[in-house]
Amino acid sequence: MHDQFILFLEALLQQTGLQELWWGNLVMIAVGCTMIYLAIAKHFEPYLLIGIGFACIVANVPGSDLIREGGLFHYAYQGVNLLILPPLIFLGVGAMTDFGPMIANPRLVILGAGAHLGIFVALIGAKLWGFSIQEAGAIGIIGGADGPMAIFVTVTLAPHLLPQISVAAYSYMALMPLIQPPVMRLLTTKEERLIRMEQPRQVGKLEKIAFPIVIAVIVNLFFPPVAPLITMLALGNLLKEVGVVERLSRTAANGIMNVVTITLTVAIGSTMSADTFLTVKTLQIVFLGLVAFVFGTASGVLTAKIMNIFLTKKINPLIGSAGIASVPIAARVSAVVAKQEDKRNYLIYQAMGPNLAGVFGTAISGGIMLALLLAR
Amino acid sequence: MLVPDTLQGALLLSLIDFFLSFVVIAGIGFVLAAFPWLDRIAKLGVNDPIQD
Repeated sequence: MHDQFILFLEALLQQTGLQELWWGNLVMIAVGCTMIYLAIAKHFEPYLLIGIGFACIVANVPGSDLIREGGLFHYAYQGVNLLILPPLIFLGVGAMTDFGPMIANPRLVILGAGAHLGIFVALIGAKLWGFSIQEAGAIGIIGGADGPMAIFVTVTLAPHLLPQISVAAYSYMALMPLIQPPVMRLLTTKEERLIRMEQPRQVGKLEKIAFPIVIAVIVNLFFPPVAPLITMLALGNLLKEVGVVERLSRTAANGIMNVVTITLTVAIGSTMSADTFLTVKTLQIVFLGLVAFVFGTASGVLTAKIMNIFLTKKINPLIGSAGIASVPIAARVSAVVAKQEDKRNYLIYQAMGPNLAGVFGTAISGGIMLALLLAR
Repeated sequence: MLVPDTLQGALLLSLIDFFLSFVVIAGIGFVLAAFPWLDRIAKLGVNDPIQD
């Protein structure tokens, strides 16, 4: 009887995940808890970190059926794997975005390209560190500071690195207010930081309606690999700007966006199992992501300074770093740093121009990269 | 693969990509610079007298 009792207990124990639990799972559970803490206590990207953190915890509880084939989180991941969720996120983003600041000041869009040097510094750094060129391309795109684009490129080029790259991309986007200002101050003089810019012109309704249509045509013509993302961004924006389908625009910006955000974050978190995440490669990718952000910030500021050599109406170089994308965080950082120098210098609208252009800059860089790396 | 999986390949890819992104974004900037004409067209359409 005693032996049978022990036998039953052993059989029950084998059904649980306790036998597979190792210290790595505990570390990743702690990582998940830290993400949730940062989201709640510090308000660091709560819409992203709650879902990612929770799914990370669940993914590291051995025996969980949710992440196995047939499990709910597994199906959520298929939305990422089949590149369905990232374009839907962009639909919502487009429906929430006013591209007026970008349309009003076309000369500032060049900053959306200038602030992407970080992509290529990280790419070269990854290659030097022994990653394949496709892996290096996926790591480099972290510097584009665009979560859906990073997921899109990574799933295409190096899907096995998705957990590390998506976590690095979203984490650094949340940490931009800490990463960017020291770089911005280092590369600018006080005089430059005090430059005031005139208010941009008002953008007409027809311009705002034409913009998404023109962009969709350009991207589909020249950059088919990234067309799904930008086309959905354009559709969302068109729904917003036409003003006659408010229900659809509200649904894209709220209902769809919220559902997709929950699914996407859970999908990303569910890939953060200790076996794949606790590796030297993860540390390398996290480091290269930081390098990408620092160099991107620097190159944006320097691009603005170079433009000032040729311009009579000077640009405040602080808005150059907003070209890194990550709307509207990077623009807010530029505005805050400018305001710290001069309380009456309001740069948010001017900074939104390069910030929005940065989204297209990342798409163009990613599109060219995909086209060249997938070509045979 | 068109781009060799070497450091030289990475450097070449980076150079071409960075340069081309400037070219394309500048092209988008030129297109946007023409957008104020759309406002004029829109205003012309509003100012046209309605013919009975």
